[in-house]
Amino acid sequence: MIKAENVSFEYFRRDDDGNVSEIVEAVKDLSIQVRRGEFIGILGRNGSGKSTFAKLLNALLEPTEGTLTVDGMSVHDQNLIWEIRQTAGMVFQNPDNQMVGTIVEEDVAFGPENLGLEPEEIERRVKHALQTVSMSEYAKASPNRLSGGQKQRVAVAGILAMNPKCMIFDEATAMLDPQGRREVLQAVRHLNKEQNITVLYITHDIEEVLDADRLLVLHEGKLVLEGTPSDVLCRSEGLQTYGLQIPHAMQIADRLRKNRIACSESVFHMDALLSEINRLKSYAKIKEIETRYDAHPQSYMRGQEEHTDSDSHTSAIKDGLIFDHVSYVYHPNTVYAVPALRDITLQLAKGDFLAIIGHTGSGKSTLIQHFNGLLQPTEGHIYYEGEDIYEKGYRRVDLRAKIGLVFQYPEHQLFAETVLEDVSFGPKNLGLSMLEVQQRAFQAIQAVGLEDTIYDMSPFELSGGQKRRVAIAGVLAMQPDVLVLDEPAAGLDAAGKKELLDMIKRLNEDGMTIVLVSHSMEDVAEYAKRVVVMSQGQIAYDGSVPEVFQFSKELRAMGLDLPYVTEFMMRLKQEGHEVRTDIYRINEAVEELTRYLA
Amino acid sequence: MIRDITIGQYYPVDSVIHRLDPRTKLAVTFLYVVSLFLAVNKYMYLLAVAALAFYICLSKVPLTYMLRGLQSIWLFLLLSVVLNMFFTKGTPWIDWKFIHISFQGVRNACYILLRIVCLVLGASVITYTTTPTKLTDGLERAFRIFKRWKMPVHEIAMMISIALRFIPILVEELDKIMKAQQARGADFETGNLFRRLKNLFPVILPMFVSAIRRANDLALAMEARCYRGGEGRTKMKPLRYSKVDGWAYAMLLLYLTGMLVLLFLHWKHRLLVIGT
Repeated sequence: MIKAENVSFEYFRRDDDGNVSEIVEAVKDLSIQVRRGEFIGILGRNGSGKSTFAKLLNALLEPTEGTLTVDGMSVHDQNLIWEIRQTAGMVFQNPDNQMVGTIVEEDVAFGPENLGLEPEEIERRVKHALQTVSMSEYAKASPNRLSGGQKQRVAVAGILAMNPKCMIFDEATAMLDPQGRREVLQAVRHLNKEQNITVLYITHDIEEVLDADRLLVLHEGKLVLEGTPSDVLCRSEGLQTYGLQIPHAMQIADRLRKNRIACSESVFHMDALLSEINRLKSYAKIKEIETRYDAHPQSYMRGQEEHTDSDSHTSAIKDGLIFDHVSYVYHPNTVYAVPALRDITLQLAKGDFLAIIGHTGSGKSTLIQHFNGLLQPTEGHIYYEGEDIYEKGYRRVDLRAKIGLVFQYPEHQLFAETVLEDVSFGPKNLGLSMLEVQQRAFQAIQAVGLEDTIYDMSPFELSGGQKRRVAIAGVLAMQPDVLVLDEPAAGLDAAGKKELLDMIKRLNEDGMTIVLVSHSMEDVAEYAKRVVVMSQGQIAYDGSVPEVFQFSKELRAMGLDLPYVTEFMMRLKQEGHEVRTDIYRINEAVEELTRYLA
Repeated sequence: MIRDITIGQYYPVDSVIHRLDPRTKLAVTFLYVVSLFLAVNKYMYLLAVAALAFYICLSKVPLTYMLRGLQSIWLFLLLSVVLNMFFTKGTPWIDWKFIHISFQGVRNACYILLRIVCLVLGASVITYTTTPTKLTDGLERAFRIFKRWKMPVHEIAMMISIALRFIPILVEELDKIMKAQQARGADFETGNLFRRLKNLFPVILPMFVSAIRRANDLALAMEARCYRGGEGRTKMKPLRYSKVDGWAYAMLLLYLTGMLVLLFLHWKHRLLVIGT
């Protein structure tokens, strides 16, 4: 299907005068073969050349060296370009930026229309494609009204309608919430199995491609690992050096082995880990009888610890943020009126680390825009340090300095010529002296862990992860007491994600109050002290991590996930193992399993 | 939330007018507007109003809904009525202190009022009954003859439809970036005009960057889906005239003939008057 021999792609980076300043080798000497009907997972850090490789396959870029053929057609042949693009369709990351039509069916028809097919044939294909991705009922809808997952499925249908033999997914799920991801992934697997379409699936999330036929790992433009998932994953040290995440099941198995439990090495799936525990338990039982081994279970009383914590918090609430029966309606008194928040009562103590979770459209974003007075509640009051922030004469500009808000994809708000200037924007607006402004900017850039060499660089020259940090520094430079972040790790690779969240944790340890909106339950369980669950504009649950996640059934009904390990422990329990299920982090799971198996 | 508001004023009901080919509606709109400027006497205005009433009735768009379109121009309407009423010379009708209203003035004011109202309502029916996409399709087909003079008709139509799709997305993004900069202490509400413009820079630049990034992404996605301009492209739903369109054209012809006959009669009458 695809045959690449020593393929390289390089481009010139030019400076302001148009002189070549650097030659960037995005893909180096890459050779692979893909057979018809294979499901290939492609992994690699941001900037490892994955996207460039995808564009080469689709003849959007032409290799500077080497030969590349798709279904026997050479991408170097200009006459075959359209044939190739039809054979190897591509789904991109941003669902909004790849839709052309103002109506779903029209967008799906765009490809076949370009191929110059007969109207009847187009209509047949559009109908069929929409059926395949289960989007038929939305045929006449406007794409703007669809969820991210639905939009990506429409994009998949748009490619399907061109009858491709191969489909390339370039981080197609990176911008979606967990439910959207599941929808899209399910559609992709279906296409691969039922229609024998070859799939090249680029992703950061290794869990998505554990079932792939083969995995490719790219690093700095080179193909560094290749093989079946078990081949690639067994070299887990390798994965880490390339900044990739290790599957959860494997992390647990590894740690169990370190605790001298004879867990097999090739455990990647939750199912595999489950049967492994089954096997070990029956083995341990025999051993138990033999040696009367006495385990010392270290009781991990996280729940109680949490309680004492929140007691000390109540005293801090006075100088914190208080929401008093806040409601908010978009476009009130019009036909478009949409209630977004209903009767929210919330107290945020100083030094807290609060996570807000909820399905897309549950009101999380609306809620955080109330934190610093960007939106004014239709009903109710908000108090900060005892003052009503909507009282006449309250200086909301000062409030915005105390409560920093980092929006989703904050790098999109960068604008200045240099990093330093951009970061200085906030403190400058506070009317501080030049010296103070600079000092704060320097501190902020340091706090986000960036080198001082980037001060004078243009923010647009930086990599995605760096841009994000600069944008966060821009908010930190205001030296806020509270930092509110909306999905700060979205779109970053595993290593970048961890670095960023660790940085936020450090800020919290230094006394900053953190509010984190996240879709990742693992991150929430790992970092947050307290969790608020939003559902349909209301607070459904509010409490510590164990307090909230005990409502597993209810959370699932709201379309939310549980942390991986919690789900795993619950399944163990279901199978009759006597394990605790109030476990939310990998450490705790390993401890509990060690106790249980020993 | 802003995404929920559709651009244009499409009113989704099923009516004969909704089913008409957009080209037919374009022709009807254009010729109707022209005919309004021919109207010179009450008979012609009567016919124009009757035709419009018939057209609106068929479209099934509620009149109250349509009249909302007049809200934005009521000041303009009032002004033209008042000016015509007071400044047309002729047989005095009311002559009280400084107010002089002539008989002709009242007549002219009525005519101008009718003309503007008919014009706005007549021209808006097409936007109420045609989706923006169909409208651009119609425009593309109607202006196809200009291709002969190298006018990029297809490209312009494609641009319009892409713009229609992205306006709500960009509006939402604008809102987000403004809020993000406000969260960093930016102030868009105070200061003189120059200051405000300067303060908008941190919003405008990211908007440009974002628009260019989106355009770039979209161009790639379109190329990946084999887009190569209008050449050789077909349509899933090509514009096809149906029987209804025939009827519509016949009716349009009837109306125009009526208007021309009335115009002819009017001039004949005037000539006779002058002749005697």
